[in-house]
Order: sequence, then C-alpha cells, then structure tokens
Amino acid sequence: MDMNLAAFERFAVHFQKGDLLFCEYEPGDAFYLIQKGRVQISKIMGDIEKTIDILQPGEIFGEMAILEEAPRSANAVALDDVKVLEFNRANFEVLMRGNPQIALKLLKLFTKRIYDQRRRFMILTLDDVHAKVADVFLMIDESQPSKDVGTGQRVFYTTPDDIGHWAGISPEKSREVLQHFVSQRRVEIYQDRIVVRNINDFARFVNSRRKR
Amino acid sequence: MPKASTYKANSVIYFQGDVGDKIYILQSGTVSLNSNDIETGEEIHDHIKTGEFFGVKSALGKYPREENAVVLTDAAVVVFSVPEFEQLALSNTRIVMKMLKVFSNQLRRLHTKVSGLMQGGAQSNPEDGLFRIGEYYMRKKQYAQAVYAFNKYLTYYPSGRHQAEAARHAETAEQFAQKYGSGKGPAAPGFQGGSHGNGEADGGRAGGGATGGGGGGGQNLSDSAKAYYEAVSSFSREEFAKALEQFKQVAASGGDEEYVLKSTFEIGRCLFGLERYDAVIKHYTGLIQKFPKLPDLNEALFYLGRAYQESGDTARAASFFKKILSMEDVDEGLRRKVNKAVRALEGN
Repeated sequence: MDMNLAAFERFAVHFQKGDLLFCEYEPGDAFYLIQKGRVQISKIMGDIEKTIDILQPGEIFGEMAILEEAPRSANAVALDDVKVLEFNRANFEVLMRGNPQIALKLLKLFTKRIYDQRRRFMILTLDDVHAKVADVFLMIDESQPSKDVGTGQRVFYTTPDDIGHWAGISPEKSREVLQHFVSQRRVEIYQDRIVVRNINDFARFVNSRRKR
Repeated sequence: MPKASTYKANSVIYFQGDVGDKIYILQSGTVSLNSNDIETGEEIHDHIKTGEFFGVKSALGKYPREENAVVLTDAAVVVFSVPEFEQLALSNTRIVMKMLKVFSNQLRRLHTKVSGLMQGGAQSNPEDGLFRIGEYYMRKKQYAQAVYAFNKYLTYYPSGRHQAEAARHAETAEQFAQKYGSGKGPAAPGFQGGSHGNGEADGGRAGGGATGGGGGGGQNLSDSAKAYYEAVSSFSREEFAKALEQFKQVAASGGDEEYVLKSTFEIGRCLFGLERYDAVIKHYTGLIQKFPKLPDLNEALFYLGRAYQESGDTARAASFFKKILSMEDVDEGLRRKVNKAVRALEGN
C-alpha cells in the first residue's frame, strides 16, 4: 500500500522494546498506526497476561478511541523498538482527507469489529447457560480455519476460565457447565486443551435455543 | 466497471447467510433489509434510501450477509465489486467518512450492549481495574510497566481510593527497577508470595527498610519511611508546598539514611512542581557536587535540564538532555521523558 505519510511525521511517537503504549482501563483518546516494530495486544486475566494479537507495521490499533474516550480494553506493549503515528479526534479528519488509504483501512477494521461484537452479543443473549458455553466453542471454531471438516471433532487450546469469560459467566459456572458436558460425553477436558466431540451437535443445540 | 442492474418487486438481491462480495447502491425503487433482532428475535425491516449503499459490511469484512435484501417495488441498483468500491472510496473520501460515522455508531451501540451483559461477571470499574494492572506487574516484577500503570492511575484518579497505595507502589517500583532491574530482586513489600515461587528465598529482606512480614503491607515501616511515604502521597496529589515541608523534615530528621537521601532528592522535584526553577538548579547542583555517585543522578540531571528549559536557557537545557541520553543505564521511562523534552525544545 503506497501511503504518503511523510506529512504525518510530526505525529510520530517512539517506544522502546518492553514499553507500554497504553494499558487496559486507561482512558484512551488516541489511536495508532504502526510504522516500525511489532506491538503486542494483551489482556491480564487472573495471574497471567494473555496475548490477544501481535500487530505488524501498517496495522492500526486503539481505534475505539476515535468514538469516545472509553477505557482501553487491553494492553499494548512494544515487542521491538516501535515507531507509531499517533492520531486523535482533533487530527483525525486531516489524516483521513490527506490519506484515504488509512480511512479505508479503518473502515475495514470497523466491519471486522462489528462482526466480532455481534457474534459475542449473540452468545450473551442466549438464555440457556449451556447453550452460551456451546456457542463460545462455535465462535472460536468459526474463527479458526477448519482443519478437518469431515469429522465433527474439534480441539481448542483454551481453558474453562477463558470459555467462561467469553460466555459472560463466572469461572466456577463455566467449569460446572463443562463438567456437565463431560458427563454427557460431549466434551473432554485436558490440562492444555478442551476437545469437543462433535461441533455439529453443538451447532444444532445452540440453534434450538436461539430466539427466532 | 460497476454495472447497473434491475430487480422486480418481491425478488431477493441476497439472502441472509450468503457469502457475497458485492456492494450495492440503490438508484430507484424500494429495498428492505430484513433481519431478526439478536436480543428479542423480533423482525427488523430496514428500508434503504435512494442513493444509499448496502451490503458494505459483509462484503468488506468477508463474512456472511446478515439480512435478506428484499425488493419491495421494482428497483434499479449499481453493483460494485470490492476493488471497484475501494477505487471509488479512495477518490471520494466523503463516502468513507460518512460510513465510518455510521459504523462507529453501530459499533458503539453493540459495545455498550455487550459490556452491559458482561457486567454480570467479575468485571471491575476502570479505576479498580487500572490499579490492579499495576499490582499485577508488581507481582511479576515488571517494574517499568508497574510504574506506568500506577502513574496513570495517579494521573486520572488523583484523589482516588487507591491513591496512597498507588503512590507508594509507584515509588517502590521505580526503586526496584533501578536497584534490581526487571524480573529480578526480592518481591516488593506487600507482594510477597503473590506469584508462585518468586522471591521466597529472600522474602526476609524485602524492600529496604520496609520489611513487611508478609501481607502486612506497610505496617512495620520505620518512622522515616512512614513520613517519607506521607510526603510522597502529598506530592502525588500535587500539593507541592506541603510535600516540600514534609520531605525537608525527613531530610533533617537524621533517621533512616535511605529515606533521608531519598527525601533530599525529592525536595528538588517539589521545587520543580512549585516552579521555583532557580531553587531547583541550586538544589540539584549542590546535591550532585556533594554526592557525585548519587543513585538518581540521571533523574537529577533531567530536572536540571527541565529547570533551565523553563527558565529560558535552552542551550544549557539541551546540553543536560544530551548528557543523559549519552549515558548507558538510563531507564526507559526517563529516556522517554528526555526525548519528549528534547522534542519540545526543538519545537520552539
């Protein structure tokens, strides 16, 4: 993508490897375009810092800040020495007019975010807590390229606590629901992964619980 | 080339669940996007206005259509492929800006709904959340990150409910970062046993004078330490005059040497906060002469530079900043502050 960014050099900010660009819960009023180095997006869950994404030069992050000064929803950490362009609502329109490529990029990013949020919303609006948990597996399955569509068995490298997080329920409740699935032989839980015996069975189950 | 197309009444342009890469503009006629509300299951009929785009999100995002696009009266549309649409968007930023506004509104609404439903769990409010991030990094001995989080906390919640603790932790994190470095050294006071297997062996001598007996968190502090932290807390509330008096008392108390020295150092920062730049220069110049191996030398040089900068002596300021940047063991936070100051200088 040929972007004419020389004019935006005055918005450049440098960070050193290991620096926090922002942390979760901090009010955000700027978003960033990476020019050099990688940025890790992570979230602290309990006693571990979980990597959500690793972003490369050319990618945008923190874009929710152009909507409102909402708290950041994750940490952004410099994985290398990083150079970013920092934009806020004040200089945003100037940027967009001068650089429609970025505007388009942002537009695509928003379509993805809307999709992801809608998907999460669909999980959270289910009444049945078992269906919620099953739908979390469906959501993750949709986002990972299917390895073997022939069988319905799927392996998820995740934990009951994480599943609970996505389902909007407590870790205890999540474990309880998963245990129930184990007793029905629909799920197997291991140290580092959870196996769903038949994802299609889960899809049918969730659909039957959706309001239509 | 985008192509014109017509649809008869009662026909369907696309179905929900279809994967399509086309984007449409309605030229004439009536089209309704029909879907079901996620929450209630209720049917939604969204009529497209003439001149309006539809099918944009699913085509750009490459995901299945979310509605049935039903033609109510004979309709004429222009059909774009994604590359054709991009071409149009690049030459007409107004379209993109308008869509960005629409999308961001949708996103905001969804976001509010989702976080509303998430609140049921153990979600914390931003103030507690930010404080806990700092605590997490303290437990992990990631001191630079802890300093960042606590300082942000103090910036946004200067009289917040964890203010005193955050100020204390920020200070400790800064010390530990300098003394031991990231991931090293004993657990900080109040953070012993916080993460498994860390710092058990040297838990006994954690935190200089402040030997907290596991979770005691500051109850066994020496008098100098207590007075010092009180002063730090005044400083973090930006009550510089008060903090200055408190630090002066600790410095003159002849108590715990560690805190006497620290307080002497902080006096300069208070003076800086009070914008008494001549006094800052005098204080730190004297201090550096007295203790050439001052542990916080870099920081002292920074305040000297800033004080010169504020009093208009940019040449001297620049030389101090340059000196700091040329030194080897400058911590990242300070380096960033210096770089920022240098940029400000150059901007003048």
